[in-house]
Order: sequence, then structure tokens, then C-alpha cells
Amino acid sequence: MTTTVPVKPAKLPREDDPRHPVKRLSALFDKGSLQLITPDDLSGMLAATGTVDGTHTVAFCSDPTVMGGAMGHDGCKVVVEAYERAMADSAPIVGLWHSGGARLAEGVLSLHAVGLIFRAMTLASGRVPQISVVLGPAAGGAAYGPALTDAVILGPEGRIFVTGPDVVRSVTGEDVDMLRLGGPEPHGRRSGVVHVLADSEAHAIGEARRLASLLGDQGSLVIDDVADVDLAAALPESMRRAYDVHPLLDQLLDRGSGVELHARWAPNITTTLGRFGGRAVGVIANNPLRLGGCLDSASAEKASRFVRMCDAFGVPLIVVVDVPGYLPGVGQEWDGVVRRGAKLLHAFGEATVPRVTLVTRKAYGGAYIAMNARALGATRVFAWPGAEIAVMGAVAAVRILHRRRLAETAPDVRPQIETELAAEHERLAGGVEKAAEIGVIDEVVEPGRTRSALAGALARALTDDSPQGRTRGPHGNIPL
Amino acid sequence: MSHEIAAEMVANVLTLVAEQGAVLEAGDTILILESMKMEIPVLTETKGTLVDLRVSVGDVVQEGDVLAVVS
Repeated sequence: MTTTVPVKPAKLPREDDPRHPVKRLSALFDKGSLQLITPDDLSGMLAATGTVDGTHTVAFCSDPTVMGGAMGHDGCKVVVEAYERAMADSAPIVGLWHSGGARLAEGVLSLHAVGLIFRAMTLASGRVPQISVVLGPAAGGAAYGPALTDAVILGPEGRIFVTGPDVVRSVTGEDVDMLRLGGPEPHGRRSGVVHVLADSEAHAIGEARRLASLLGDQGSLVIDDVADVDLAAALPESMRRAYDVHPLLDQLLDRGSGVELHARWAPNITTTLGRFGGRAVGVIANNPLRLGGCLDSASAEKASRFVRMCDAFGVPLIVVVDVPGYLPGVGQEWDGVVRRGAKLLHAFGEATVPRVTLVTRKAYGGAYIAMNARALGATRVFAWPGAEIAVMGAVAAVRILHRRRLAETAPDVRPQIETELAAEHERLAGGVEKAAEIGVIDEVVEPGRTRSALAGALARALTDDSPQGRTRGPHGNIPL
Repeated sequence: MSHEIAAEMVANVLTLVAEQGAVLEAGDTILILESMKMEIPVLTETKGTLVDLRVSVGDVVQEGDVLAVVS
């Protein structure tokens, strides 16, 4: 929360500065729609309303031309006013951040003021979509502001940290620059702080517009607009071969509509906002290319936050399952895979938004339950023909169940016996027919009919006006 | 600039797809690992030359082990 700033603010005007908050806010809003709701002064913050793809939106922007964008009493008041406006209008709110943190010269007054922003953000959580774009340094209080919101977009010059390189060096002796401490690489891959990495300021603001539009103007599902395609075409022939799930997701969603969140962090699961038949949806999918698609502690946490965000804003979910299980290992257990994995069970278990599941190839063990299984209250569960729903793979299962018999078998015929036993086991315990018989799969659907089947199930749930048909979860979106 | 490609999890080396010295595009497969009963391709995120291939078929690799270097 420390920053070195001159006691006297720099002077306005700064019309030629590309960091001018009016310029940045103008880039966010539709042309000609910007209206300031606070004065353009020396407070270090500026708030405005406007439209984003026609959707009424509120925004505020740091003013780095005044004391490096440091936040004092007046600047924080601007942000709180923006939040009051967003709540009153039920509008999405976008924060454009470029700030060294609290104004040192104002002392505790500035800390208190920053705290009031955190309170406003928390009370707005799950009520109005909150999107943050970090375009420069965002230190201390300016780091936790974005972190409290639903999605954080990082521009190429964005740097997020609680304490800067100088303090880190003096306290811990670690020699690190701002890029390596809080730039795109650490926050994109390691910390999970940032949801979307952008390669330019214009790109960052463009992604904020897309997210504000998806969450703020969710649209209606038009079944006739959902054309069927063979979704299995994107998958390899061998059931054992891992693959990148992204081409499948590109075909599942309306063309080019997806915005993937946390693409590089915990990449063994994907979380994407996009449109399906014109309506905003959230898609969660295992990605077998990374860690075989296993669930682990980080991916479970990532998915649970996404589920809760979508539930809070009434965004229906599509869950695409191809999961071999939880990732085994001492590291995972000590990393809290039990505690962090439980978040996903909780997130799906409490979700009231329509949520459909599609098992493409396999769903094994505890991970089967965690991926929005029937037991957790899925709206409808589909599976492709040949999908396996089981405690574990059939071969692995017979190696345990028939350990003694297989040990007594001659090595040259063992593989054949194993295959026969596995087929028998699958027939009795694991196949998709058995799962349908038990009722944990509602419908076996061909890959070429899947889009329309998902659309039908979602459309029915979205028009359900019974008490069970409530479509928005009554909770905030704590940054899990 | 060289990029080290490390194993994400404990696995067996099943197949080597690219040879040392090969010129690779981003997204090309270098080798295939076997873990959790699955065959998992290991890709390069960057284009370049495969200057070092540090594993052989049958090796058991641990999480974090460097498999290959693309430069």
C-alpha cells in the first residue's frame, strides 16, 4: 500500500497524454456515448456512463497523470459513486486501473477510503457484473480492487502486486523487477489473479467490452439458430489419445463468441463465456491435452469460481466431461485437493442456474461426480454412445478385481483375458447403457445431434416458471 | 531464446515424434507421454529448432523434468 508521490499533485491539463482517463473511457464506450458522472479534476479517478454494444454500462478510470494515479479520499469517493450508480441502474461496471496504490501523503484517510471501495465491490458482488482492466501498475489497494471483481484483464504494461520490487528487496532480499513480480507471466500462469491476458491496451479494452456485453446483455436462446455439427470430428479416433478440447468448444459455441477465462492457469480445465443460440452461456470442459484432463486442486478451484459467477448472474452452464479422475500424488493432497476440490462440489451443488452436462468419452471416479453429475442436480445429463461412466477404467478395474486370477494366467494370454474381463466388467458396471439404466445419464445423444439436444434442454429449463425454475443464484462471487 | 518443455506430471515416455534438430512450428508434437492410462501429446508452444531431446522411450519422468529444449 505504499507509494512515493509528490505532495503537490501534477497539474491539469494533459490532453496529449495517451493515459488521459477520458481517452481510455472513450475507447471503452460506444462512440459518442460517454457521459462523465464526476468532474475531471485532480482526484486521480474519473467515472462515467455510456454504452457498450448498446448496453448501458458504468465505468471508472485511474488518472495516472495525477500523482501516478494514487488513490486518496476524493478518488476513492469517485469509485464508490460509480458503484452506487451501477447498483441503481443494474448495470455492469468496468474499472480501468493504473495506480500506485493509496496516497501516502493522506495517511490513514486514504487507507480508509480504499477500504470503502472494497466494501462497495463486495456488496455489488453477484449483483452487477464487475470487470477490471489493469493497464499500468496496480499496487497495494489498486491490486485488491481488481482482485475483488469478477474478471481481471491485464494489458501488456499491467503489473499487479501488493508490495513492489523495492520493498520485496529490502525485506526478503529477493531481486525481482515489476514484470517478473506481477506481469502477464506470473499472473497468467501461476497465481490465477488474471483472467484474460491482452497484447495491447486496445485489445485489453476490447476484451472488457466483450465481457461486459456477454454478462450485461445475455440475450435469448433461439433454438432455430443452433445448427447441428459433428462435434466428435475434433476428437482423435483412439479413446486413449489425449487431445486439445478447444476446437470442440469452438464448434459448440456460436462462431467466434467465446472469451476464455484463466486460459493459462490450471489449463487442464477450461472456463469460457460465450454465446449459444445467441444467449450467453458458460462452458466448463476438461482439457485432456493438459494433465490428461485430470481434476486437481487448482483446476477445481478455477472451475468453482466460474460456476458461482455464472450462477450469480443467471448464465446457464454447459459442462463438457472427459475426465480420467483426480490427479494422484503427495503434492496434490498437501496442496489441499480435498478442500479445494470440495469447492467444486459445493459450487455445482448450490447452483440454481440451468446446467447441462455432456459426457463425451469418459467420467471416472470422484471426478465424475464433481463435473456436474446427476447427483449434484444437473438439469440434464447427456452422453455420447460409447462413453464410459465408471469408478475407474475397465482394464484398471479388472486388474484389481481379478488380481489373483490374472496372476495365475500365463503372460502370453494375459492381455487377451484382461480384454475379455474388461469387456464383461464394462457391460455389467461401466457402460453408458448401465448409466442410463440407473438414471445418472438422461439421454444418449449422437455427436451430430448434440448442439440441438443441449439447446432443447437449456430452453426448457430457461422457460420453467415453477419454483424449481429459479435461474439466478442468490449469492456473491467471492474470489475463491 | 530457448524454451524448456517440462513434464506436467509423472509419466512414461511412450513415443518420440520429433527428432533432435527438427524445425518445429508452434503446436507441433514433440513426444507422447503415457499417464493415467492416457496417451498425452507434448507440444511446443513456440516455433524453433528442437535442440535438445532429453528422454528416451520407456523413461519414467517426474513432474517438472525437462523433456526437450526448443530454440
